[in-house]
Amino acid sequence: MMNIMQHFPVIAVMSLFLGAFLVEIFGRKNKIVRNIITMIFVAISFLCIIALIKPVILDGEVISYWLGNWEPVNGYAIGIGYEVDALNLFFAILVVLTFTLSAIYSLRYMEKDDHLGHYYTLFLMLSGGVLGLVLTGDIFNMYVMVEIMTFAAVALTAFRNYKKGALESAFKYLVIGSVGSGFTLTGICLVYMQCHTLNMAQLSSILANHLTPTTILALALIFIGFGVKSFMVPFHTPAADAYTTAPSSISMVFSGMVNKAGVYGMIRLMFVVFMMMDKTAMQILLAAFGTITMFVGVTMALAQHDFKRLLAFHSISQIGYVLAACGLGTALGVSGGLFHAMNHTLFKGLLFLCAGAVYYATGTTNLDKLGGLSKKMPKTAICFLIGAFSISGLPPFNGFVSKWMIYQAAWSKGVETNNFFYVFVTIVAVVVSVMTLASFIKVTQAVFFGQPSEKCENAKEVPLAMRIPMWIMSALCILVGIFYNFINTNLLTPATNAVFNATNYIDKMMGSGYAAAAGVSETTIEPAALSYWDPILWLILFVIILAAVCIAILTGKRTRGEVLVNKTEAVDGKYATFFGGEKSEHSHVSGSDLFWGFKKNWGGYFKFMQGMHSGDVNDYSLYTVIASAVIIIVIFIFIH
Amino acid sequence: MIIINYIASALLIALGLYAVCTKKNLIKIVIGLGVIDYGINLLIVSAGFNDGGTAPIFTISDLINGVAGNYFVDPVPQALTLTSIVIGACVDAMALVLVIKLFQKYGSLDAGDIRRMRG
Repeated sequence: MMNIMQHFPVIAVMSLFLGAFLVEIFGRKNKIVRNIITMIFVAISFLCIIALIKPVILDGEVISYWLGNWEPVNGYAIGIGYEVDALNLFFAILVVLTFTLSAIYSLRYMEKDDHLGHYYTLFLMLSGGVLGLVLTGDIFNMYVMVEIMTFAAVALTAFRNYKKGALESAFKYLVIGSVGSGFTLTGICLVYMQCHTLNMAQLSSILANHLTPTTILALALIFIGFGVKSFMVPFHTPAADAYTTAPSSISMVFSGMVNKAGVYGMIRLMFVVFMMMDKTAMQILLAAFGTITMFVGVTMALAQHDFKRLLAFHSISQIGYVLAACGLGTALGVSGGLFHAMNHTLFKGLLFLCAGAVYYATGTTNLDKLGGLSKKMPKTAICFLIGAFSISGLPPFNGFVSKWMIYQAAWSKGVETNNFFYVFVTIVAVVVSVMTLASFIKVTQAVFFGQPSEKCENAKEVPLAMRIPMWIMSALCILVGIFYNFINTNLLTPATNAVFNATNYIDKMMGSGYAAAAGVSETTIEPAALSYWDPILWLILFVIILAAVCIAILTGKRTRGEVLVNKTEAVDGKYATFFGGEKSEHSHVSGSDLFWGFKKNWGGYFKFMQGMHSGDVNDYSLYTVIASAVIIIVIFIFIH
Repeated sequence: MIIINYIASALLIALGLYAVCTKKNLIKIVIGLGVIDYGINLLIVSAGFNDGGTAPIFTISDLINGVAGNYFVDPVPQALTLTSIVIGACVDAMALVLVIKLFQKYGSLDAGDIRRMRG
């Protein structure tokens, strides 16, 4: 059985690329052929990854595959190896889940566009690139996959090039993305110069006891490269634009797996290959960038008027949580970070799908033009609420559990090390969570509640093929939140174990005893203790509150929410003194007015931040270069 | 191991980054991206160079038995450079396509004019 299994990672990646070519050749004209080819190859890839769960995660094996059967000679890796351990597979599951659901959603969502053959080609290339990045065991192959991913992502950002700003977002993404990839490649070249190998397992055993100025520079450059790919502040600027202008099915893919690929690269290279995360300076660097990312993301989100741009900034903010948690460098922190990465894929994908549904039904994502959709599209509204509750961290949804893990990890790290910085991280994380909730109250009010606006008068519920992915995502959001213990022991603990113990990863690839000979130490990771809250009790409380609210609404006045202006016309003249001016037909409290006071008080900050997001590609590259310089200098000063 | 190549590649990368950060013309930004790529390619190909080394044409058994000797040019960086050149060409082509479309849509190549997505 193992012999068949070891081909699965390569088949999963290759089927997507093969599918991309076949769609381009056979599916340009015929819609049915195109959809069938896409779905078949997506399904093959999905099943291959799902089949790996049993041997890798449950039995704890590591699966390796040498392309062309170029096995290591005398302890030197020659060929390109694919290697799957629990960490890879954790991210691979998120990736296949995201692109499978996105492919199903695309079938109806994209039907009004033309040139769909190109869309599916790029979609499959993007999926294959991300999956290859996640599964590969070769650092240069990783770079190639990063580039495939970036190209496909740029092209898909510009796919609806009639949309406002689509082309310029793509251009900015390409420029910043290429600068980031360039840093990665330089770092990889420096690593190669020092170690004369590109295999990550071998690099890991060499770099464990081998720290020279060159490898430190390589570390800094690779940190920057994957920082750009995971869109941490200040590299986040193209992300906000690209998520906004790409089709929603692609926005979901971006936030579900493209920035996860950056996070994966960061974890794999910083923890496993360079083994640097036990150094306080690296921990503080990553946690500090994570903290800045979550704060800047959420505050920028509060100032947005576009549904998808708001979600984009929330996506950036949530990645901040993941990076900050990984930056703690403790087992609980990494578990929390991985869990939040998973939950982010689920709830942010769901929210982008809801945004896509709103766009499909109304043709706009401008918050000021939307309103009252809960009456027109109740099923989408329910899905959106589930996603909003999850991202805001309300129990019993999944966001709560992972955020709680992150608070607990940050706090206990602060107590352990007596470092005020980690306490600060905890406080910021809590505040950002509150602001996320505030922001989603604003969106819910602006889009789904209140009076239907003109644009929404004729909105209809979206087709079933678009609702199915939304329902799956919603169900997963709730199930993961309730059965978090199952996820923790069966998915997170093996993955965390793989992060901290590279021995298995090295031995499987390079032959047993290799890691021990190189002096790679081993630690045991216990499952994170998560018994501090009982989701069932929270669920009961939630149901009671929900029932109470429903009863209060049902027994309340039926006239709630009617527009007064229409009445004044009926009674004619009686209120003329008060309403005699210009006639207002629409009395919806728009989302941007909801937190007016808060925004007024913070006016200076918002003005500064909005000025920083100037839209000028030179500015964005300048932030990238300055931040890179800061990272390189900090790493050089503090890492010895 | 040629110091002048390393200095040159560092200068090229710095020059490219300078162009990307300061030049307002989109074509010049694309050229800057290209220059960054050339700098990196030079760095990679220099990394494998051995002064006076022979061509790396051996079988695995030659290497294991020591017939090949130790002094040959490392072939791996050359393969990496080829890949990197191809990717660089793709970056340029893609960026230029976007620049053409942007010019058609905005009627300008100035980065200062092309900023509808902001705030």
